[in-house]
Amino acid sequence: MIIVKNLSKKFDDDQILDSINMNVKKGSIYGIIGPNGAGKTTLLNHLAGVYKEDIGEIKINDQDIYENASAKQNMAYMQDEIYAYPQYTIKNMADFYKEMYTNWNEDRYNKLKEIFDINDKKRITKLSKGMKKQVAFCFALSKKPEILIMDEPIDGLDPIARKKLWNIVIDDVAKREMTVVISSHNLKELENMCDTILILDKGKSIIEKSIEALRTDVHKIQFVLKNQEQEEKLLKEINVINSEKSGSIRVVVVKGEWNEIEEKINKYNPVLLDRLNLTLEEVFIYEMEGQGYEIKNQTI
Amino acid sequence: MLQIDYSSRAPIYEQLVDKIKTLIVKNVLKVNEQMLTVRELASQLTINPNTVQRAYRILEEEGYIYSVTGKGSFVSDKIVNIREDQVKTELVKLNQVIERLKNLGVYVEYKPKKGDDTQ
Repeated sequence: MIIVKNLSKKFDDDQILDSINMNVKKGSIYGIIGPNGAGKTTLLNHLAGVYKEDIGEIKINDQDIYENASAKQNMAYMQDEIYAYPQYTIKNMADFYKEMYTNWNEDRYNKLKEIFDINDKKRITKLSKGMKKQVAFCFALSKKPEILIMDEPIDGLDPIARKKLWNIVIDDVAKREMTVVISSHNLKELENMCDTILILDKGKSIIEKSIEALRTDVHKIQFVLKNQEQEEKLLKEINVINSEKSGSIRVVVVKGEWNEIEEKINKYNPVLLDRLNLTLEEVFIYEMEGQGYEIKNQTI
Repeated sequence: MLQIDYSSRAPIYEQLVDKIKTLIVKNVLKVNEQMLTVRELASQLTINPNTVQRAYRILEEEGYIYSVTGKGSFVSDKIVNIREDQVKTELVKLNQVIERLKNLGVYVEYKPKKGDDTQ
C-alpha cells in the first residue's frame, strides 16, 4: 500500500530525515513514535505529498504521491494544526472541502458532527486546541478516505473524545479496510491500536517492527547463579541490553527467542530464575538505550 | 467482559484466544450463540480490529467457532467434543496420579458427581 524507500530530506543544512524505509500494508494501522523533533511531521508531510523528497521514493499503490491530485483524493491528512482562513466558520470550511473533494460525503459529515457535538457556526480560529482536533478529524473522515494520515491526533483530546475518535477509526478499519498512519510521542496510546510501529529519532528510523514482535522479543528476567564467574560467563552468552544487580540478584533485559535464553541460563543451574513483566513503554526505553540513547535521571 | 493485561508478555491476540476459549469451555458462551463482531469487540476494548480478526481466525481454525458469511461468528457445536476430549485427557492424568498414590500405599477413589458433565 505505502512503500517508502531510502527517504532523505534536508532543510538548509539540517538533515531532517535520513534513509527512512517503511512498509504499510492495506488495512493496517501503522504508528510512528518518536520524541519531539524526531522528524515525525516531516515524514507525514512526505507521505501526504506536501513535501518532495531529496533522495529516495514514496509509492502509494505504486504511484508517486507528490503533485498527484487524483491519488490525494483517496487520502485524508489530519495535520497537527488545522488550517483555516481567519474568518471561516466550521461550516464555511466544510463547504470548501466539499468543493475540493469529489468524494466528500455530506451525510457522513453530519453524522460525525453529531457524534462530536460540533456547532458548525463557530469560527475555527476561536476554537480550543482539542476542539480544533475534533473538527479536523471530522473533515478528514467525511470523505471516507482509503488512507488516513494523522499527526498527533489525540494530543489535547479529553478521554471521551479520544474514545470516540478511536471507535470511528476501528469502525473504518474493520468495515472497509482503511489504512491508517498515525504519529504520536505517546506509546501507551498507540500500543493497543497499531499493527506495526516505527520508532524515529533525529531523523533516523531506530526500529520498524510489529507490536507482537516487540512484545515477545524482549524479556526482563532476574536470576541468581552460584558464583560471580558463572554469571559473567552467562552475560556474555545472551544478548543483554540492560543489566542491574541488587544484592545477589541479577536483573537483566535480554533480546531474543525466549526458549533459547532459558536454555542457556538453565545450563548454569540457577538458584533462582524469574521472568518479570515488561510493558511496551519499558521495551521502548530499553530499545532506545540499546541504540545508545541514554535516559538519564535529570534534576534541575 | 474480556480484559487485556498490558503488562503481560503474551501477545494481545493470544490473550483474546485464551480468554474466549475459557468462556466457551465454561459454557458462558453457548453453542450456536453469536459472538460479538470484530468491530464490536475491538471498540469495546479499544484495540486494533486486525488483532481481534487474528484471534477469531485462530479460534475458527481450532474449531471453537464458525463463521457465516454476512452474519458473523458463532460458537461451534464441536465444542462439545473439544470439552469431552479435554475431560478425557484430564481424567487420564488423574488416573495416573491415583495409580502413583496407590503405589505409595495411599488408596484414593474417584467418583464422578452428578451434574459434572462427565457422563
